[in-house]
Amino acid sequence: MSFPWKFGAAPDHAATRAAPVSKRFSDQLIAVLPRLRRFAGGLTRSASEADDLVQAACERALAREHQFQEGTRFDSWMFRIVQTIWIDQLRARDIRKEDGDVAEERLGSDEPVRRVEARLALSEVRRAVALLPPDQRLTLMLVTIEGLSYKQAAEVTGVPVGTIMSRLARARIALQQTLESGVVARRSAGDAEA
Amino acid sequence: MQKHSDEALVAYLDNELDADERAHVEAWLDADPAVRDRLLALAESATTLRNAFAEFMTEPVPERLIAAARGETASATEAEIVELRPRRTEAAPPPSSRWYIQLATAAGLFGLAVGGGAGYLGNSIMTPPQVPAERQIQAAALNNWLDNAAGDYKLMVNAGDTLVDVPANGDNGDVLQKVSQSLPQPVRLPDLKPWGLSFQGARLIVVDGRPAAQLVYTTDNKAIGPLALIIGSTKQSDIAPTFERRQDLNLLYWRHQGRASVLVGQSEIGYLWGIANDVAWQLDAI
Repeated sequence: MSFPWKFGAAPDHAATRAAPVSKRFSDQLIAVLPRLRRFAGGLTRSASEADDLVQAACERALAREHQFQEGTRFDSWMFRIVQTIWIDQLRARDIRKEDGDVAEERLGSDEPVRRVEARLALSEVRRAVALLPPDQRLTLMLVTIEGLSYKQAAEVTGVPVGTIMSRLARARIALQQTLESGVVARRSAGDAEA
Repeated sequence: MQKHSDEALVAYLDNELDADERAHVEAWLDADPAVRDRLLALAESATTLRNAFAEFMTEPVPERLIAAARGETASATEAEIVELRPRRTEAAPPPSSRWYIQLATAAGLFGLAVGGGAGYLGNSIMTPPQVPAERQIQAAALNNWLDNAAGDYKLMVNAGDTLVDVPANGDNGDVLQKVSQSLPQPVRLPDLKPWGLSFQGARLIVVDGRPAAQLVYTTDNKAIGPLALIIGSTKQSDIAPTFERRQDLNLLYWRHQGRASVLVGQSEIGYLWGIANDVAWQLDAI
């Protein structure tokens, strides 16, 4: 019987554990790719940018495979790599210009009906996340989306748990206010049409 | 952290407070309806947020990322489709049985229904390719399956040996026979002794409306166990081994030839991966 996936068909336990580390490593990496894409999707401002970030993280992880410690969390290790590359990219860019781009996108030139519908779409929530300061965005993605505990998020980001708590609270409040203002805007538009 | 603060509310929702802090927040909630409203709004927004990013878990992963993970150069061929991962549609589990937390969860789920619908509508309008409704339903069913698996694991760990329906005996043949009587196909018992895991017994459980066997293993190695292997039947197509998390639990699940399996434990995913490799080979070996 052929087992179709990357588990391999180890005939005995010794062979299982003696499997090439690099292949196991790649398999772990592939398994966590959807979560890396989701994480990167929250940090960046477009799907292609997120995939570029994940690809860079994969390449760096493979180059530093020897630094991963067995028995520690692989996903946290990868989140840390994604975060590091992302911060490097942020520093290398003109962030103000990017913020302007986002603002322009939010006020985009779609026809009015579509713009109202767009407000209903969850993609608008992602845009609201993109407007958060980078440290809040990072914390929000790690804890609220990826489900890390505060302690785990603190380990990934290298900040104290108290900082995670305050960043997360600010992010959640800001996000909620943004979402509420969107609802208010829609209601106002609806009232005006009525 | 101030006891009466947004930080405290958010940490309360995230189940990150100790007993004293939780009691303070609950007293605050009892005393102030406006704070309860704020908590509800925060719970709703968290659900909406999770929904907004859920589609990443069901989209095909681009070939270039698969290639990058394998250390290969991406080719310019048509995108490879890899197995779908479940759409995470559940709100965070409520940290308390208090009524307003239940309400918060209910509100979150309502938001999920509305938000999910809006998201699907939005996707259909704005962001091709669409995610078929059938696929969303399958992903939701898978999520429920994993939620139940995680819940049964917690129950098993908290209750200890008393919860094992059929305890392990000498050859374990009787155990498997009794468990298999209630399942559509016989259960094989993976031998995980090389991992230091001892079979303790089996439970018959129901996950996603179908009978399943929960095989319970324990070990002195705290880095690995205890561990539960749940095996049920499925009519859905095969799915590659995939990691998920539920609170502090790691889950690794796969479907193969009519059998749905999930390993549940607190062990690091590297261990789970190796053990699952072993389990999969033993289950499918003839």
